[in-house]
Amino acid sequence: AEKNCNPCLDAAKACNLNNSCKRQRSAYIATCSKEDTNKGEVCSQKRCHKALRQFLDRVPPEFSHRLLFCPCQSEGCAERRRQTIVPECSYKDKEKPNCLEHRRVCRQDSLCRSRLADYMVNCEVTPQTVSTCPNQDNHQACLASYARLIGTEMTPNYVDNSFSNWTVSPWCSCKGSGNQEEECSNFLREFTDNTCLRNAIQAFGYGLDNMQNK
Amino acid sequence: KRARRPKPCSLRELELTVSELGLGYDSDETLLLRYCSGKCLEHRQNYDLTMDHMVRTGFKKKGRKDKVSNGPCCRPIAYEKQFSFQDNKHLHHTVRNMSAKNCGCV
Repeated sequence: AEKNCNPCLDAAKACNLNNSCKRQRSAYIATCSKEDTNKGEVCSQKRCHKALRQFLDRVPPEFSHRLLFCPCQSEGCAERRRQTIVPECSYKDKEKPNCLEHRRVCRQDSLCRSRLADYMVNCEVTPQTVSTCPNQDNHQACLASYARLIGTEMTPNYVDNSFSNWTVSPWCSCKGSGNQEEECSNFLREFTDNTCLRNAIQAFGYGLDNMQNK
Repeated sequence: KRARRPKPCSLRELELTVSELGLGYDSDETLLLRYCSGKCLEHRQNYDLTMDHMVRTGFKKKGRKDKVSNGPCCRPIAYEKQFSFQDNKHLHHTVRNMSAKNCGCV
């Protein structure tokens, strides 16, 4: 039954039937799932991040966003979605750093710094209006900024395989923040508790359903 | 009624799931398998004409039982380098040289 209704599987099919998407997707999956024999690591995260950035730079969002934001109604689908970026390599690390420390590392890198700033602007929650995203509810800009963080130090991902109550987060926590606890949780909530991002991802799925029904 | 002209060697496509490839993977991901099929009649050399004759009569007379292909085969001359996918247990795999990129009579 799930086989017949798995939007993430449909997204993979669409990608596999497109030569460029198939090639770029195969390239990052192969890189990210390849053991780094030199260092005895799970993989080379640096190479994996580079391959992911290339995939997202070169493949049109109609393919890549469909893989990242497929609207799931089952755990199997949500797990496939969570695994899209090969999180064992691109997301997880041995230790979970404090989010402010994680942000500091990101800001030392010009690419990560600018992409994070971009995300903060385009996915900013605007409480004073009825709309939830900046610039006349520009969901697309928020999703694109989120996707452009993938392959940086601040790579975000779905934290588990929940489909009804999903959460996205970078690989960090606010443990050990000391007197900066509030600043840390404010930063983390830009991902975990962001109405603009949440609506943008949900609207993406809704938009796809509409297109298929036409 | 005209005799049907055989189709020449060319690249063909078939949509199927990874599970259907017979490589032992369990994945419902769909892909496009490219393969080579068709005749190579126009590519026969004197070598092939000779072998055709030898297999039918020549070798027997000389006491040989060798089997020799009597014409070029339609085969991939280049493969798609790699194909990666997620299986039904959410593990990633990469298979190499599984789909044809170009075909030739060799």
